Amino acid sequence: MAEVEPVSTNNKDDMQEEIPGVMTTSTSAISDFLKKTKAQDLINWGRKNSLWFTVNAMGCCGVELLSTGMAHYDTDRFGIIPRNSPRHADVLIISGYVTKKYFPALKRIWDQMPAPKWVIAFGDCAISGGPFYESYSTRQNIDEVFPVDIYVPGCPPRCEALIQAFYELQKKIVAKKDKGTDY
Amino acid sequence: MDAKAIIDTLSSQFTGVIYDAQVESDIRILAKVKNENVKDICQYLKEELSFGHLCCELGVDHPERNEIEVVYVIGSYEHPVVLTLKAILPRDNPEIESVVPVYWNANWYERETYELFGVKYLNHPDLRPLVLPQDMLGEWPLRKDYKGFPNKTAKNLV
Repeated sequence: MAEVEPVSTNNKDDMQEEIPGVMTTSTSAISDFLKKTKAQDLINWGRKNSLWFTVNAMGCCGVELLSTGMAHYDTDRFGIIPRNSPRHADVLIISGYVTKKYFPALKRIWDQMPAPKWVIAFGDCAISGGPFYESYSTRQNIDEVFPVDIYVPGCPPRCEALIQAFYELQKKIVAKKDKGTDY
Repeated sequence: MDAKAIIDTLSSQFTGVIYDAQVESDIRILAKVKNENVKDICQYLKEELSFGHLCCELGVDHPERNEIEVVYVIGSYEHPVVLTLKAILPRDNPEIESVVPVYWNANWYERETYELFGVKYLNHPDLRPLVLPQDMLGEWPLRKDYKGFPNKTAKNLV
């Protein structure tokens, strides 16, 4: 969250919206204030229990990602629900190699997601390139582009590993150590 | 028809165009063709000899001979024979007639061979890269002298 200069509202022409009995602001002063109070704990409790993720199956790890969201592993009980639109999602799971052709689309998905948002690097390919670490057509060092919170090693990792990744992400959100929010 | 009969028919129809023909086994024939006649040969194979299935079309790079081979693997539903045809192109300007008018499924094979080896297919309906991004066109990644492989930018290796 970038610092925004407070806009002077003394001049009537600068007022963006005139609602009787309501003060409007264009700064993030309220959320910045809330981050210092106990109210943020309540907000984080709500956020950690509704980690909706994008269905973005990019490689063979995507099969594990899909089955995690289905009935057998039943992540709905943790509030982890697969969403088909990035505009509804909180968590981007990079589930496989990122080819140079797919990278602009992945960046666009990330830009479409509303904040606060988190990233999980799922599988060896997303972490280090995996077997494609020397390839001419994949993009390496994806953690320099996205703020990755959780790394899940494995080729592919099991569905239980992804559930544990969500659990660790919940613990990071409660401890205010996640990269999705700027404390 | 068995393999011997097929290659005899083909050689007599296209004298001098098909050379180095050899019967590798009962089910495989290997032959080289002149690259300006590939489409005519495929037309004849499909219409007269009922070789209706283009299994595969690929490129092979030979930098020591300064050549790029384009390989056509053609199967049939009537004869138990798979035919392998090779056309040899110069490496600095590889151009060959497209066989898409004969075998429609050659479309994506030729687009892939184009982006990976730089073989230009004349009269192809839609010659643009298939799986590589547009800005990698011209690098020809599967040629042996490609400088971008191995790519040493990965940092998180163990």
